[in-house]
Amino acid sequence: MKKLLWPGITAVLLLAYPLVFTTPFQQRLGALVLLYAIAASAWNIVGGYAGQISVGHVVFFGCGAYASLALFTHTGLPPVLGMPLGIAAAVGIAAIIGTPTLRLSGHYFSMATIAVAELARLVTTNTEFLGAAVGLSGPTVPRTWLDLSFISSVPYYYLFLAVLVITLGITWWMERSRIGFYLRAIRDSEKAARSLGARAPRVKLIAYLLSAGLTSVAGSLYALMFQFVDPESGLGILISVKMLIMAALGGAGLLFGPLVGAAILVPLEEISNSLLGGRGAGLTFVLYGAIIVLIARFRPDGILGLFQSARKAPEKHDA
Amino acid sequence: MTLLSIRNLEVHYGDLIGVADVSLDVAEGEVVALLGSNGAGKTTTLNAVAGLIPASGGSITFAGERIDGKPAYAVVSRRIGLSPEGWRLFVGQSVENNLMLGATPLADRSRAAPLLERVYAIFPRLAERRLQLAGTMSGGERQMLAVGRALMSDPRLLMLDEPSLGLAPATVEIMYETLERLHGEGLTILLAEQSVELALEFADRAYVLQVGRTVMSGTASDLADDPEVQKVYLGMG
Repeated sequence: MKKLLWPGITAVLLLAYPLVFTTPFQQRLGALVLLYAIAASAWNIVGGYAGQISVGHVVFFGCGAYASLALFTHTGLPPVLGMPLGIAAAVGIAAIIGTPTLRLSGHYFSMATIAVAELARLVTTNTEFLGAAVGLSGPTVPRTWLDLSFISSVPYYYLFLAVLVITLGITWWMERSRIGFYLRAIRDSEKAARSLGARAPRVKLIAYLLSAGLTSVAGSLYALMFQFVDPESGLGILISVKMLIMAALGGAGLLFGPLVGAAILVPLEEISNSLLGGRGAGLTFVLYGAIIVLIARFRPDGILGLFQSARKAPEKHDA
Repeated sequence: MTLLSIRNLEVHYGDLIGVADVSLDVAEGEVVALLGSNGAGKTTTLNAVAGLIPASGGSITFAGERIDGKPAYAVVSRRIGLSPEGWRLFVGQSVENNLMLGATPLADRSRAAPLLERVYAIFPRLAERRLQLAGTMSGGERQMLAVGRALMSDPRLLMLDEPSLGLAPATVEIMYETLERLHGEGLTILLAEQSVELALEFADRAYVLQVGRTVMSGTASDLADDPEVQKVYLGMG
């Protein structure tokens, strides 16, 4: 029973939030927290559990966002139908870039992922089909309910909450599966895991593909809510960094870590943006830099790590 | 019968030469020691056998089958277990999880439970600590866990990389007594060891490595009495 206490409280708080906080700003903030929590949770699968720090996950986010809005722009179909296309594109791209880059270790992998993401941004900026530098927009006025275009943020809030639950469900399942078991072993010592016969490249690739597909879903949801994407908002490196910081701040490799991180960082950013306005745009980077330094110095295992340090040893598994 | 046979093994790390020319044989049921100073190529040789690093020349034959060029998971499933240098434990996981990860190559999963019992019987200390995190254990316990983990794949050949490194003398003694017992049960062992005295006491035969080449070999007792070994190996005389 005790095990279900915290997830239970979290679920009740999340369900009740839009009913308690009723201003549009607060509701939009809640939806954004959930959106980023989805993206950061997806990142967490490969960055947290497998310990492969991707700084290029925005590529997959971009896949989702661009697939949704490109589908609408070129065929007039509702953007939500682009979601499976985005997942397919993200998984395909992940397979192509993951196969060589996951062989790299540590920061070499991180650097390779940055390069791929920047390349994707530059190519998109020069591709007319994807709106080039101007970007792509969604339907100006909703035509049917399938356009999922709402003035209030509350429908998005509950949609994102449902997707977050699915994402965390998949992560939870993976954590307990044989794959999750190997991922943690690889994070501790890839060489030892390999010497025991774990097929490290394959296990990492599976995690990477899963993570890419889920990140793409977050991108599609972003496109649904904002109805607009351009190379900066869909493929900018800052989005990759946000996913990473949120997971690391909350607790990388922990199920609820990214949600905690998003619940802290998104309000912080929104508030600092509204206080500083346009003049302080660059300060967001400064803020993120400071947070990275603080996490690295004081809590490498994130905020949830504080509560986990007294945790019991992992229970007996059934391998 | 020869279980493991290495002929003219060459391993390169980029432009660096890890091993230039190593040849050795290990017969079934035998204990063979690899001697040599730091950088002589002992760890590289063991890692090449385990498939962790590719050989760039020569051959490695195990139970009559070429295994050089095979990936690590294929090698370990042929029942070659490695207890790596520095243990390389999964420090964030429990003792039992570490051991169960060692059962990865078993085709028949149901064999894991009896093997686990066997490892606990060999190292009762591990049974006492089965739920403890590996990262919180002492050096001696970590070494036990590394060996126990390698035993979980039910190896025909157990390779040990520096089993005495960094351990207290009393712990080293317990370790070697245990290895002696496993040897008595018929396990074939190939070990790299910096402590010549210990290695020659335990092994049947030994090879001396120097800058990536096998320069000398013989029975343990012959080598122990040979002043040349002292010279090549310890730089004495």
